[in-house]
Amino acid sequence: MSLDRTLAIAQRLVRQIRRDRRTMALMVVAPVVVLTLIGLSFAERSQVLDFIAPAVLATFSLLFVFLLTGIGFLRERASGTLDRLLATPVGRFDLLVGYLLGFLGFAALQALIILLYTVYVLNVTFRGNLWEVILFLLVLTATSVNLGIFVSTFAHNEFQVMQFIPLLLAPQIFLSGIFLRVGEMPGYLQAIATVLPLRYAVDGLRALMLEGAHLPDVARELAILVGIGVVVLGLASLTVRRV
Amino acid sequence: MSDEQPLAVQVQGMHFGYDGRTPVFQGLDLAVARGVSYGLLGPNGAGKTTLLRLVAGRLKPSRGSVLVLGHTPHPSLTRDIGLMPQSSAVYPELTARENVDFFARMYGMSRRGERRERVEEVLRFVELEERQNTHVSRLSGGMRQRVSLACALVHRPPLLLLDEPTVGLDPELRASFWEHFRSMAGEGTTLLISSHTMDDAAHCDRLAFLRSGRVVAEGSPETLRRATGRPDASLEDAFLHFARQEAGDVSR
Ligand SMILES: Nc1ncnc2c1ncn2[C@@H]1O[C@H](COP(=O)(O)OP(=O)(O)OP(=O)(O)O)[C@@H](O)[C@H]1O
Ligand SMILES: [Mg+2]
Repeated sequence: MSLDRTLAIAQRLVRQIRRDRRTMALMVVAPVVVLTLIGLSFAERSQVLDFIAPAVLATFSLLFVFLLTGIGFLRERASGTLDRLLATPVGRFDLLVGYLLGFLGFAALQALIILLYTVYVLNVTFRGNLWEVILFLLVLTATSVNLGIFVSTFAHNEFQVMQFIPLLLAPQIFLSGIFLRVGEMPGYLQAIATVLPLRYAVDGLRALMLEGAHLPDVARELAILVGIGVVVLGLASLTVRRV
Repeated sequence: MSDEQPLAVQVQGMHFGYDGRTPVFQGLDLAVARGVSYGLLGPNGAGKTTLLRLVAGRLKPSRGSVLVLGHTPHPSLTRDIGLMPQSSAVYPELTARENVDFFARMYGMSRRGERRERVEEVLRFVELEERQNTHVSRLSGGMRQRVSLACALVHRPPLLLLDEPTVGLDPELRASFWEHFRSMAGEGTTLLISSHTMDDAAHCDRLAFLRSGRVVAEGSPETLRRATGRPDASLEDAFLHFARQEAGDVSR
């Protein structure tokens, strides 16, 4: 691994995204619109809103970064820049970590905006510490970056990346306890839920945001998220060289 | 040529196929001496791009060997190779300068001052210093090609692999590219250049005519022309001559 290469890749991604004004705008507008809709529909039932808000935050963090990496990496493959990159001494971990660093800043920014909006505009209960919540979300983001890279190997174009969203995200959204607590689901679905990163993210965030827990209290969720992240990183590193 | 120095590229009995079923190369032999501009000529699908990717170490032969500067391609050898892919393969959202700078860093030029000098030098070389801060998406196709070339040679590689570098260039620009290529070969850089135009072929020191993964003829442009037996033969004629000969051999 080389620090300068990793940083160069991260800087390049930051530049590319910053210059894409529409992506920058949508990354803020989309979650705010969704949250507003949810906020309006549960206006009379603030407890339900409290229950759902942490999940929406987690889902957006996961989805946003998954899309950025999935499509970003796909474009590298399709445009030939990946071929060119891999013909340099760059290592696979330089690439993976570079992508991760490049997207972390945007993911943190998005999380901050969503969080402030939910707490101050939608008046969702918030007993936690802002920075702890953001730090927690960044761990989820790391998993998502690697998932995006891994999936991009199996997708040959943008349409196919899109098709992976329902496949990878729908089970997570329905089985991670966003609407129904995991414990209330049938046993076999609970079994599936144990490998879904979103499930631990939702549990952890609820504790951090609603119950006033601190990072050490959600150490188990964090550890599992890191574990899943490492496994996906391993998978992504195996496929990154495929063109 | 010289016995002490290994060849720039030496391919021996090389087999390769993308999926195992349809072979692209079946026992290819090719030798490229150092400091020459070597043209790989052939129609669409002849295997030019595949060969360059094998030399760059991006693909592995299933049998036989590909030696680059005396070694089997491995990651640390990539420093000595510059690759200009067939599509321009640069980042459209970045400026010309940012692209070149990025690839310089990928090649390990981590010292900023030294890198800046080299990046400026390369941009002058491809005559883009005035447009260096323009986003590549707003450059013309020919300018984009020049950015791509600059990215390939920023780390002064002794071996340059150029995949159809002159496609889409106007005659003036094409001539200026060839001027660059010749000056680099003059300084000892080996250039392996693919093309399907005979105009490019005439500029090379040596040529290999490739057809369906086989070298149908090899030599200097002059030798190849003369081998047709007609004094007024063009390289185009020579290529057709060898292609027919090969087709005849196969059917017999
Ligand atoms: N990624 C790939 N997967 C499978 N087959 C491939 C792939 N790339 C090329 N081929 C096949 O390998 C053969 C050689 O292709 P190659 O791209 O090397 O030709 P080329 O000489 O570069 O052609 P062109 O002048 O069109 O660029 C062709 O039959 C092509 O169909
Ligand atoms: Mg080609």
